[in-house]
Amino acid sequence: MAASLSLQLPFLSSPTTKPHTHRKFACVAAAAAKSEIPLLQVNDLRAKIVESNVEILRGVNLTINRGEIHAIMGKNGSGKSTFAKVLVGHPDYEVTGGSVVFKGENLLELEPEERALEGLFMSFQSPVAIPGVSNDQFLLMAYNARRKKLGLPELGPLEGFSYLMEKLQLVNMKPDFLNRNVNEGFSGGERKRNEILQLAVLGADLAILDEIDSGLDVDALRDVASAVNKILTPENSLLMITHYRRILDLLKPSHVHVMDNGKIARTGDLSMVDAIEADGYELVSALT
Amino acid sequence: MSGIALTPTAFNPIIPSSSSSSSSSSSLKSHKFIKTRTKLTQFNNNAISISSDPFLLNLAETLEDSIPTPQPLQKLREASSESLLSTPWPSRRDEPFRFTDLSFLRSSHILPAPIPTTTTTTVTPPFSDDDDQFPCHISFIDGHFINSMSKNLEFPDGVYVGSLLNLSGKVAERVLELVSGLDGGDLFWSINGMAAPDLMVVYVPEGVRVENPVHLGYLSLLGSKDGSKDLYISNPRVLVVVEKGGEVDIVEEFSNDEENENEFYWSNAVLEVVIGEGGKVRHSYIQTQSLLAAHIKWTSVRQESSSTYELTEVSTGGKLGRHNLHIKQLGPDTVTELSTLHLSVGNQTQDLHSSLVLDHPRGFSRQLHKCIVTHSQGQAVFDGNVKVNRYAQQTDAGQLTRSLLLEPRATVNVKPNLQIIADDVKCSHGAAISDLEQSQLLYFQARGIDSATARRVLIFAFGGEVIDKFPYSSVRDRVRSQIKSLLDPSPKLAPL
Repeated sequence: MAASLSLQLPFLSSPTTKPHTHRKFACVAAAAAKSEIPLLQVNDLRAKIVESNVEILRGVNLTINRGEIHAIMGKNGSGKSTFAKVLVGHPDYEVTGGSVVFKGENLLELEPEERALEGLFMSFQSPVAIPGVSNDQFLLMAYNARRKKLGLPELGPLEGFSYLMEKLQLVNMKPDFLNRNVNEGFSGGERKRNEILQLAVLGADLAILDEIDSGLDVDALRDVASAVNKILTPENSLLMITHYRRILDLLKPSHVHVMDNGKIARTGDLSMVDAIEADGYELVSALT
Repeated sequence: MSGIALTPTAFNPIIPSSSSSSSSSSSLKSHKFIKTRTKLTQFNNNAISISSDPFLLNLAETLEDSIPTPQPLQKLREASSESLLSTPWPSRRDEPFRFTDLSFLRSSHILPAPIPTTTTTTVTPPFSDDDDQFPCHISFIDGHFINSMSKNLEFPDGVYVGSLLNLSGKVAERVLELVSGLDGGDLFWSINGMAAPDLMVVYVPEGVRVENPVHLGYLSLLGSKDGSKDLYISNPRVLVVVEKGGEVDIVEEFSNDEENENEFYWSNAVLEVVIGEGGKVRHSYIQTQSLLAAHIKWTSVRQESSSTYELTEVSTGGKLGRHNLHIKQLGPDTVTELSTLHLSVGNQTQDLHSSLVLDHPRGFSRQLHKCIVTHSQGQAVFDGNVKVNRYAQQTDAGQLTRSLLLEPRATVNVKPNLQIIADDVKCSHGAAISDLEQSQLLYFQARGIDSATARRVLIFAFGGEVIDKFPYSSVRDRVRSQIKSLLDPSPKLAPL
């Protein structure tokens, strides 16, 4: 399977420096993928918060093919992050209707760890700190879980360390980043970089970046975007959730969706972002 | 009023008063309790708190008869027997024992563990492979100091490590001043004082830094099988004196032989530490007794000005593990750091009663206590008292206790408490009791790690914060692997 190849070596052989090449990739891949099943197919997905029974997702429809870059925008509380969390199996939410098919499998039947091992990755908006567990220990444990899933031998501490060091350069962090406890005492920027480091180490068929740009300064944002660009291949896809244009300019999504009241209210391309910036979400979502 | 009391108002002092018995001291000189008993009965009518409890009288008598009294220990024994007889057996109604069940001790026939025979001294203690890190080793078996199993007790610069009975000259005088001079504690402190066969002394003269740690290995060999009423008690006692500017590391390890893993016994140890001005003691304490044993331990520390005391403890053994930790500040600018981890993986109680009394300015203290209870009949108890008295201005005292309860009905009773009378201080305390955090588990799962593995890693990491503080890698490694095997889903637990 081509999918499993992309997991081990997310990106080393094909250097892409200019972001716009991705759009070419995206087009080619999208064309090729038409004959195949979509990477992710969400149909009429409905979900509520377990504790309060409040319905948040009210019929989301979304199709992502291999190699595509999607962005979801929308005002606060429209359900963007809930959508991402439901996809990765967050226990705070319960799916009440609809279906999600990922790589031809019913995603909703899988445990969160099985979803991850299938190649679904989500960067957390505010990643939790894990005192007492070092970053390299955590990364290697996760990477070995994935290798095991792929039928590859697990890496020992030494091999693992050199693999991690290689990935560390992608996010422009110093080696001591690995010795620190997972997210403990990390600045906002360091936490976001750490999420991308995890993505680089683990690889993914579909990476969901939930507000990866929030709280990042200009330099950190550029680092994160360039790392993501290097990780992307024609075979894997990206879904980002954001409020800001800046990261869209850096990652060039092929599809932009506006979410409103638990649904995708409108889908377009980057040009729609101009309309949103000019007129606000209300007007743009009302245009459907 | 400048006082702020951040403590439950009904807090009782931990040390039961034994002063009311002083009037009876003359009657105890004879050391024959049969006689004493008859004499004492007349006091009972006058409501003087002399025990008429036949169990305690019997116990005192047994202990008294078991060993000869070496002359230097005479004063200690007298004071101890006196307080033993004036202290009632603690019940659940007494605050310090509210959550700690001692009834199984009381229902036993308590016997002092005899001096081990030469054949038993050939055992290999579990900590014996640490020769590289601990060249200086003091061996106790069933509370008795075993010279033939101890090593490298000779030190330069006037450092003395050995029995009080072999000590002479000025150092002996100094030590003797301290032997019975420390403020005592409860009944168990007194039992040790009465029945300790010897006193091990670690003496560090002024300005001397002892390079190698002093390793104290306490091994319990003699136990009773299930069904027997006999309970062997051992009473090792150690005094550490560090004079002005001196430094020493103490490593205490309590364990049992594999042979008596399923046997019960009672280890009732006392460690006293006196740290002179600017001195420093780093104390490591590891307790891995049999899961059927009773382990009651006293650590009493006195800190002169600018001195440092650091304790790192990991206790996992015993049906009952109780650590009484008392620290008293004798001068300003002291530093006290206490890190403790208690683990209950079976039908066991792990109990820490700590008391830190600050009477002088600019003391600094940090206390971290962690408990993990992984069994529905397991229990952890913590009563941590920090007193910041009137003259202890600019004290910086922090206390935090965190407990993980991993099974339904697993129990923890924690009472962190600060009593603050000084008005210019920085004090904090906190208590958290929880299962593992869902958000942390999800983070592991979201990266492809299954929840069982994630739980194991998180539980281990919780304890790791304390384990990492042991100053010696061999101790850290041993404790880590020990805890790993206890947390393993298929632990080989003693039948409980």
